[in-house]
Amino acid sequence: MKATKEQCEALFLPNFCGMRMVFVIVIIAQLFAFVLALAPLSQPSDIRWQNLGLISLFVQWCALGTAATLCLVRPWLCRFTNTQTAILSYMIMLLVIGLISEVAFWLTPRLDLNLQHHWNFLLRNLLIGAIISGPVLRYFYVQHQWRRRIQAESEARLQALQSRIRPHFLFNSMNTIASLIRSQPEQAEMAVENLADLFRISLSDVRQRFTLQEELELCQRYLQIELLRLGDERLKVVWNTDALPDDALIPALTLQPLLENAIYHGIELLTEGGVIEISGQRNNKQIEISLKNPLAKSNSTTQHKGNQLAQENIRERLHTFFTRKADLSVIDKDNYYTVTLTFPYETQRHEDTDR
Amino acid sequence: MKHNAMKILIVDDELPARSRLRNLVADLQAGEVVAEAGNGQQALTLCQQHQVDVVLLDIRMPGMDGVEAANHLKKLEHPPAVIFTTAYDEYALQAFDAHAIDYLLKPIRKERLQEALKKAGHLTQAQYAAIEEANKKVPQYISAHAQGGLKLINIEDVIYFYAEHKYVTVFHKDGQVLIEESLKSLEQKYQGGFIRIHRNALVAINQLQALERSNTGHFSLALKESEQKLDVSRRHLPFVRKLMKSLG
Repeated sequence: MKATKEQCEALFLPNFCGMRMVFVIVIIAQLFAFVLALAPLSQPSDIRWQNLGLISLFVQWCALGTAATLCLVRPWLCRFTNTQTAILSYMIMLLVIGLISEVAFWLTPRLDLNLQHHWNFLLRNLLIGAIISGPVLRYFYVQHQWRRRIQAESEARLQALQSRIRPHFLFNSMNTIASLIRSQPEQAEMAVENLADLFRISLSDVRQRFTLQEELELCQRYLQIELLRLGDERLKVVWNTDALPDDALIPALTLQPLLENAIYHGIELLTEGGVIEISGQRNNKQIEISLKNPLAKSNSTTQHKGNQLAQENIRERLHTFFTRKADLSVIDKDNYYTVTLTFPYETQRHEDTDR
Repeated sequence: MKHNAMKILIVDDELPARSRLRNLVADLQAGEVVAEAGNGQQALTLCQQHQVDVVLLDIRMPGMDGVEAANHLKKLEHPPAVIFTTAYDEYALQAFDAHAIDYLLKPIRKERLQEALKKAGHLTQAQYAAIEEANKKVPQYISAHAQGGLKLINIEDVIYFYAEHKYVTVFHKDGQVLIEESLKSLEQKYQGGFIRIHRNALVAINQLQALERSNTGHFSLALKESEQKLDVSRRHLPFVRKLMKSLG
């Protein structure tokens, strides 16, 4: 039975087949060789330097040999638990060191290696190997745990940040649909389809990335539902988004919650309704999208609290997505509320060439 | 039977929500929908015109919301029974549950509507107070009895409140009316919009014009949209000065 990919990802041993890991191992092995060469107390310095060459050669062989073996047996190790893997890899490391010691002994009898006794040499090497391998494995284990914790934390944070569609919107839409089923069954059908699309995305993977075109389409679906409910007298939307590139990447559900805010805190509380203005620009590598909605005079204080939550959320997600190169700003002036998003223009293709 | 059927007013800002309620009432043959309103102000006017028995009242509406409308409705000579309808309104629902006020959740079930219409009754003062508190929104209108009906004054049109004997007079842009609410409660409710300048006067901050000193050493306040000069008491003088300085 072959181990699955997930099992291998959960393995605490790093992947020794990678270039970076090999490089790290060479460096560490060399540093260790220096320690071994420098450690003996009563040796003249010219002998130390002579020894360093041989010690380095031997230690590098041991280190790279172990790494190569662990690289080869990795798919097989994936099947075991962490403790079993630890024991097995410990034994593998000692075995490889033992074998290389044997080979070194037989290959270099005539060199002045100060080899008095075959067994003495072998046991000494194995003992040093045993002492060093333990902390090394422990280090890999701790590092692995630490990585997993960081990953789990950031995933949990993203989950929490996933913008939720307001329950208020869900139940009001249901009510609208219940009403339309009798009088305008086709409209009701369309509303159900749009609602399903919105919730499918809201409930899906948090790391999903959308193109701007997809996000704008989603906004249109959302608006279609709200239009049925509020009517085109109260809810008017002006789109100035022609200048926006369709293929720009954006975290899913970034614009829709802002639109929802504009309706919930703005349009819905105005007796006469109002116009939401969505405008977008592209300045070279930077994209700017802003939403502007009128506010009811008396209720402006309660509005801000509700808005802030969703906005903080979107700002965090933009930062996670674009690593600080994106921002969200708010202007609250003369009974108009404007939210502006700025983020770099990145496409699927850009991203591939970057890596 | 038709002539004494229950008269129902439907109040909701959303057209589909209103038409659904109308359909349900028709299905149940529970009464006659005499009118529909899209906000609280309309609801109050229509209630007075039609002698409504029951109001199906949405909570979240533009302008005057349902909770405020209910509070004004109870002052009518023949106050109608109120049944709240709402899609999702955490705070209000908690208050309703705590005070056993009948409310219907949208989309409303036919059976639940029938039940509610059957037992439709009147809210007590305590229930009103509780839901008003839960609503966390400052009432936008002052209601007062005038010319045999209920008159609504937008709080933004109020110039000042003046207390005399048992009543408080509201001086607003189109005249004046008497209300029963105390200056103290008004002051608390409209914090930030009004300032107390005397034991007997509460003035809209945006009406402050100038502080004048008479030759007897008393201070009085000139207002933007009223000829009347109001006395400022010694106790309130520092607060008025500070505020006027901050306003420039």
